Amino acid sequence: MSDRTLRFCVGALASAGLLVAGYLTYARYSGTTITCSTGGCETVQESSYATLGGVPVPVLGLLGYAALLTTAFFVQDVARAAGAALALGAFVFSAYLLYVQLALIDAVCDWCVVSDAIVTAVVPFAVLRLRR
Amino acid sequence: MQSWFRGPRAVALAGIVAMVLAGGLVAASLATRDDEAPPEPIPVALDSSETTRLLDGIPQKGTVLGRPDAPVTLVEYGDLQCPYCAAWTHEAFPPLVRDYVRKGKLRIEFRGLTFIGPDSDSGLRAALAAGEQGKLWHVVDLLYHNQGHENSGWLSDDTLRQVGTSVEGLDVERMFARRDAMTEHVDAAQAAANASGIDGTPAFEVGPTGGPLTRVQISSLDADALRPAIESALARR
Repeated sequence: MSDRTLRFCVGALASAGLLVAGYLTYARYSGTTITCSTGGCETVQESSYATLGGVPVPVLGLLGYAALLTTAFFVQDVARAAGAALALGAFVFSAYLLYVQLALIDAVCDWCVVSDAIVTAVVPFAVLRLRR
Repeated sequence: MQSWFRGPRAVALAGIVAMVLAGGLVAASLATRDDEAPPEPIPVALDSSETTRLLDGIPQKGTVLGRPDAPVTLVEYGDLQCPYCAAWTHEAFPPLVRDYVRKGKLRIEFRGLTFIGPDSDSGLRAALAAGEQGKLWHVVDLLYHNQGHENSGWLSDDTLRQVGTSVEGLDVERMFARRDAMTEHVDAAQAAANASGIDGTPAFEVGPTGGPLTRVQISSLDADALRPAIESALARR
């Protein structure tokens, strides 16, 4: 796969992630109820794990996806390395958050799972960008 | 010289940065998770002067505090034994009363829930009975200010009698006598909570008086968490 294709895949997935994180951030600050098929979204968003030093997790996601999207616009080595590091870091942190939902809060937010899927999907593309 | 950002070195570098990033986030998450642990009971000796000063002269009817024609309504769902509700009453309630209720802009309706334990129910019934005498908010405020640990027995008839006696103009015997007649009100509040999908306290709804109410998720237990919703409801009137 050419770097161009990989960049496109990373960019598209990061954009999808931005939408999810953006929606959750909007819901959090506007106080609207999250559209949630599992019914667990409110529980998750209101749990003590939903913020990190005062920063809501959706905002972190927003920043992370924005940074990842930015790396997709650049071809320099440093952008590729940053993209791979961000994707891998996000993957591990997402796995931790999924564990928190399943094991500690006992409620699952389907939007978070969508984000987990996006993060998982983006890892191979972001890492492949390092090979050349 | 080979670049750090190219080839196997870049993979290793990205891996290390990723681990540090994720490790830092997980550590931060675990470190801050106890921030919202239930606050310790606030040790306040029964002193009704602050409550009296705060609520003095504000109309009360049943579960509602404030002028009936106030343009905006705030509904508070609370359990008298819930520590977060007590913290909210400490932090947020006085400024909201001063800035909105006293000025006739806001009326606050108390919908008591009783999920913590049987004492929540008997306490709520007493507060609702005090509401028949226009003193529900005095009783609720004083109970929150003298709250003990959940289901520790603090919300006893003794406590209710002490609190009731300290409220000027409240007939305590009548309050106790009317407790059993409050079932309808208890059920109505629970039904309203169910209808709004509320399963935790404190929970809030804001809207135009007599109009549709909107659930407001609060990010903190101070008055600022509710001001935007109240202000925007006021602006729409």
